[in-house]
Amino acid sequence: MMSKFLRMCVFLAVAGSLALSGGCRSKNANDADLYGSDNLYGDPLMGDVPLADVDGLPADGDRSVVDPVYFAYDSSTVNSEEAGKVEEVANLLNKNKWQGVIVEGHTDERGSREYNLALGERRSLAVRDYLISLGVDPSKIQTKSYGEELPDNMGHDESAWRKNRRAVFAMY
Amino acid sequence: MIRRFFVGSAMMVAASSLAQRAVVEREGSGKISINLAAFRTGGDTASRGFLSVLKADLNRSGYFKVTSSGAALNVVGKVQAGSQMKADVQVYKAATRQRMMGKSYDASAKAYRTLAHKVADEIVYAVTGKRGMASAKIAMVGTRSGRKELYICDADGKGMRQITNDRSIIVAPRWTPDGKNITYTSYKYRNSPCVFMTGRGQPVSKQPGLNAMGTVSPDGKTMAIILSLSGNPELWLISVRSGKPIRRLTKTQRGNEASPCWSPDGNHIAYVSDSSGRPHVYIISKNGGRAKRISSSGTENLSPDWGKNGYITWCSRVGGKYRIVVASPTSRTSRVLETDWADYEDPRWAPDGRHIICSRTSGYRSAIYLLDTLKDSPVALVSGSGDWYSPAVSP
Repeated sequence: MMSKFLRMCVFLAVAGSLALSGGCRSKNANDADLYGSDNLYGDPLMGDVPLADVDGLPADGDRSVVDPVYFAYDSSTVNSEEAGKVEEVANLLNKNKWQGVIVEGHTDERGSREYNLALGERRSLAVRDYLISLGVDPSKIQTKSYGEELPDNMGHDESAWRKNRRAVFAMY
Repeated sequence: MIRRFFVGSAMMVAASSLAQRAVVEREGSGKISINLAAFRTGGDTASRGFLSVLKADLNRSGYFKVTSSGAALNVVGKVQAGSQMKADVQVYKAATRQRMMGKSYDASAKAYRTLAHKVADEIVYAVTGKRGMASAKIAMVGTRSGRKELYICDADGKGMRQITNDRSIIVAPRWTPDGKNITYTSYKYRNSPCVFMTGRGQPVSKQPGLNAMGTVSPDGKTMAIILSLSGNPELWLISVRSGKPIRRLTKTQRGNEASPCWSPDGNHIAYVSDSSGRPHVYIISKNGGRAKRISSSGTENLSPDWGKNGYITWCSRVGGKYRIVVASPTSRTSRVLETDWADYEDPRWAPDGRHIICSRTSGYRSAIYLLDTLKDSPVALVSGSGDWYSPAVSP
């Protein structure tokens, strides 16, 4: 538990330093100026690693290898309790047990379908950033958002929503 | 910070309810009575169908009340149909016998609904000088087939037809500005969200990651779109012809962007961003630069649509319910439309600049509704046989 927490701290520090390096400092100051710094949900600063071309890569994979990562409402932060699943995937990819992974981001049904499509992608990307911080080659990671379109649980209460706010690992 | 926010929103609600009352008294009250009793129809079903669609359209326009006696306006003339339909329509002021409109129409008898919509819009224009909405088409996502496919119907909710049969998922349909095609997000290529346009086999945008919510500019050349190409969902402009990125407009490493729509002059884009911690509506120049936040109250502000009337409508979560907001980006005033306890989402301006078409969800079922920004009660346009949502109204 403690080690996961520490690793999460390292991840956040790495993500932050990635963003601050390479002349991004003024951009970040600009962002704070534009949007205020009242980030209520503490979503992570994204690492800003451009996506690799996916043409020719598999479009589907095995979803039974590692359990999904679950998220808080309207958040794309990988919680310390969920971080172990991402570390497991990183381990499998770094040991070349699998060629790559498609991280499929999902949301619950609240909020607009369009906003949720972006939120699902951000969840995929938060997991991707964490994988990259654990040494995974970015070209092994595809992201795909389904927004609220493919719920795991068809219910309409918090217990269903909790299961639907997830990032699924499709390994190939 | 939070305290000031709530005080501000309470004042805004008070101001907006005052503004609403003023608008209703000025424009909404007193419909023009219109009498079609002297309009003659042939015995055929197309002719009688024409008349009933025309009457319903005039009532729905918001400007008229169809009566059978003592009206301010009389519609006279006749309609007859074999395989071809011929209609003569004249509109007179009852008091002065002044002719306000006189026209003859020819159409295929099968197209009697389309002809009735056209005549209704021409009567609205002749009498009020304003554009009608009866000829508009509504695109939407429907689940009738068990999948999420694209459908189109008339502005009265009739004439429904299925446009796609992709057996995939469709999100965020939008009309192209010429009203001839629809852009939409689908998973039919590589099971990945890509942006398509009707009439084109290949995706318009198929970058790695998210390609979604593509919306074509008024000049038809540029598409505003959400791409995650850079490692985070951001607002981009791409070429409609080649699909190649032109410019990234946002750089918000702590947030998502969503739901772009163009200003009527094509110089600005309104969109949703949650980079302040909650989703709000912003406006940015097509050249990039500083974004301006225009929503202040509500815990979520989503899905804007910028009407040709200059007003932006969006969906705001107020008191735990999704409601429809109408705002002026220039005077920075806004009001929340009066609606019942259901959730109203994805508002889209009708071409008359008066009505809004949106989805209404209650008991986890969604239907397409017509809202009047002036006075009339909400009207169900499409409901039953599955869910109907994400409407887009043709220009």
